[in-house]
Amino acid sequence: MAKLVAVQPQHHPPSSLSLLPSSFSDFNGARLRACIQYKRKVRQPKGALQVTASSNKKILIMGGTRFIGVFLSRLLVKEGHQVTLFTRGKAPITQQLPGESEKDYADFSSKILHLKGDRKDFDFVKSSLAAEDFDVVYDINGREADEVGPILDALPKLEQYIYCSSAGVYLKSDYMPHCETDAVDPKSRHKGKLETENLLASSGVNWTSLRPVYIYGPLNYNPVEEWFFHRLKAGRPIPIPNSGMQITQLGHVKDLATAFFQVLGKEKASKQVFNISGEKYVTFNGLAKACAKAAGFPEPEIIHYNPKEFDFGKKKAFPFRDQHYFASVDKAKSVLGWKPEFDLVEGLADSYNLDFGRGTFRKEADFTTDDMILGKSLVLQT
Amino acid sequence: MAALASSSSSLLFSPPSLSSSPHPPRLSLFLSLPHSSPSLSFSLSISSSSPSFLVKPHSTPHSASSFSINAATAAEKKKVLIVNTNSGGHAIIGFYFAKELLASGHSVTVLTIGEEGSDKMKKPPFTRFSEIVSGGGKTVWGDPGGVGKVVGGEAFDVVLDNNGKDLDAVRPVADWAKSTGVKQFLFISSAGIYKPTDEPPHVEGDAVKADAGHVGVEKYISEIFDNWTSFRPQYMIGSGNNKDCEEWFFDRIVRDRPVPIPGSGMQLTNISHVRDLSSMLTQAVENPTAASGNIFNCVSDRAVTLDGMARLCAKAAGREVTIMHYDPKTVGVDARKAFPFRNMHFYAEPRAAKEILGWKGTTNLPEDLKERFEEYVKIGRDKKPMEFPIDDKILESIKVPVAV
Repeated sequence: MAKLVAVQPQHHPPSSLSLLPSSFSDFNGARLRACIQYKRKVRQPKGALQVTASSNKKILIMGGTRFIGVFLSRLLVKEGHQVTLFTRGKAPITQQLPGESEKDYADFSSKILHLKGDRKDFDFVKSSLAAEDFDVVYDINGREADEVGPILDALPKLEQYIYCSSAGVYLKSDYMPHCETDAVDPKSRHKGKLETENLLASSGVNWTSLRPVYIYGPLNYNPVEEWFFHRLKAGRPIPIPNSGMQITQLGHVKDLATAFFQVLGKEKASKQVFNISGEKYVTFNGLAKACAKAAGFPEPEIIHYNPKEFDFGKKKAFPFRDQHYFASVDKAKSVLGWKPEFDLVEGLADSYNLDFGRGTFRKEADFTTDDMILGKSLVLQT
Repeated sequence: MAALASSSSSLLFSPPSLSSSPHPPRLSLFLSLPHSSPSLSFSLSISSSSPSFLVKPHSTPHSASSFSINAATAAEKKKVLIVNTNSGGHAIIGFYFAKELLASGHSVTVLTIGEEGSDKMKKPPFTRFSEIVSGGGKTVWGDPGGVGKVVGGEAFDVVLDNNGKDLDAVRPVADWAKSTGVKQFLFISSAGIYKPTDEPPHVEGDAVKADAGHVGVEKYISEIFDNWTSFRPQYMIGSGNNKDCEEWFFDRIVRDRPVPIPGSGMQLTNISHVRDLSSMLTQAVENPTAASGNIFNCVSDRAVTLDGMARLCAKAAGREVTIMHYDPKTVGVDARKAFPFRNMHFYAEPRAAKEILGWKGTTNLPEDLKERFEEYVKIGRDKKPMEFPIDDKILESIKVPVAV
């Protein structure tokens, strides 16, 4: 039974000029409809053993109300699948996205289902999932390997377990980019993701794992682009650690959602790991400039500093790892035929136009560490 | 079969690197599929299990994991002329390419610029040209303006110019090739022509420096030849190299000297084993239709940081390394003389070759450097007395004691 959650429409006056016109309908619109035309093929009766993407599936998304899942769930619902979101219900189950038409939103909201629970309550997970008998699980918010067992136990006939891992599992290297076959770091902050992948691989289930790098786009709750936008809006210099030549990589959330969508029922994705991110990488210095360009700000002043000279306490002075961190998406391109639609400036403009530029953001600006850095550099100059 | 765009690919004169349209030009990696060529068959994954929405009329083709290039094209043996430089980092390319072609059964002539008797011929790879001859190839010497005479009026199917850096040097070769009916013209260009970017890597189609000599050549050959391909390499390692690469690091590491690296050491560069370049060139010869009209970054599929290269060399040598960073301007040294690689990110990826030719890289620096170090020792270079005047100046300037 679909649950409609009343969402207060949020009106935000459009703020400053932005580089590119964009709307949510770009994502949900013409291109996607063209996709669907191709796919109206054989409809298998429910219950028949079928692993092709063209059948209606009963899909469970662990999470799905904050970022990746918001976009992924729309793709799946539009495709005709029955989609349930498993969340504690802390965030609204659905929210109308900027640029999304009333009709599209109503259609989506009327079809999406919610299973309320805490995924750390393993008994509840097992019993509630078993009762629903899902065909496919998208595990978007899993962090630890012990979260997988109850799901697998509940769904012995599971067709596919699709996992959102992270390129953070790769061992830091001088030899780049990270490729799917590279060494992983059993001690990294993301070791839970690695352990989850290993568990899936040894469980015998048909699994697929996607490893994003840094994800960006409207609704991002990790202050990636938002961190730059706050400073650009405030007319502040951008403090970047060390040379600013460190190379990283951003991947648009819509491209990631598309990748998740494309691996559904795909034999070539079976028991495979894929890096998913943007086609080009970017230096820290370059990213600051790209954010400015995307949002229509003048080129920013960049201040470089040596992070070792500061004690920032618990605060993060910069949103990225201070190292080269980027992955090749060649495998996804050649095996899945997936490719990112957004290039960096385009994607940042999309994020700005649909989110920060409308006055919305997740984290308040906090310039404490900036002021520490700027204070010291001023002292050095005098 | 899905509709794949057949289009003359104009990768050369790339659109501005930033686009203002919602659908910016992608890497225009079109497969050149002349309608009259039924011999090319691609096993693309267009089947009921593969969502066909992935194929858009204007998009890049599926780079299928299985490429079945028609066997007849691959089996056809060619007469290849390599016009080779007589010095510098690219000299080794012609040497490996010649040997690989010969091993594949093609007929090869290497025309080295200059004179057979010159001092330049006393360095590798020229000292090993007997290997080309014993492989069944011919080695001749001459100038770009006199190719026809030097090859004695012989006709070729394929010509590679691995010599000229600008049109003055290449035009005579290209014009001669055109006039004698050469079917495929290949050119060794350089990844150094890419404009610096904030968004690495350099990929085919990215903006290039308009005034670069190689750019003029690429433009010219694209105009006069129906079938042309340009290859843009970076740095190479490999036995028979004319120019030092890894040796620069080994020289310091085996003598327990610090390795001075300009800047942060985080700069990424692409160092390939020359066999990767040779295999890409050979694939172009054996798949001329696929290669035609394309630019290929002729590099390995990984980049290494400058610090990383020092570390890998040390590991290959089984020794420790101390890296010292410095600013060339502050120290007052010519960065190009002080260090073998560019003091910036210089990082191209071989995406077009992988997608269009189905080429795969095999460079494995950690392994390849071990082999290089073995040869370094075998020829006794580790024992050779050496002076390091520029290093000393750098280290003095940053106040580093060096063990005598």
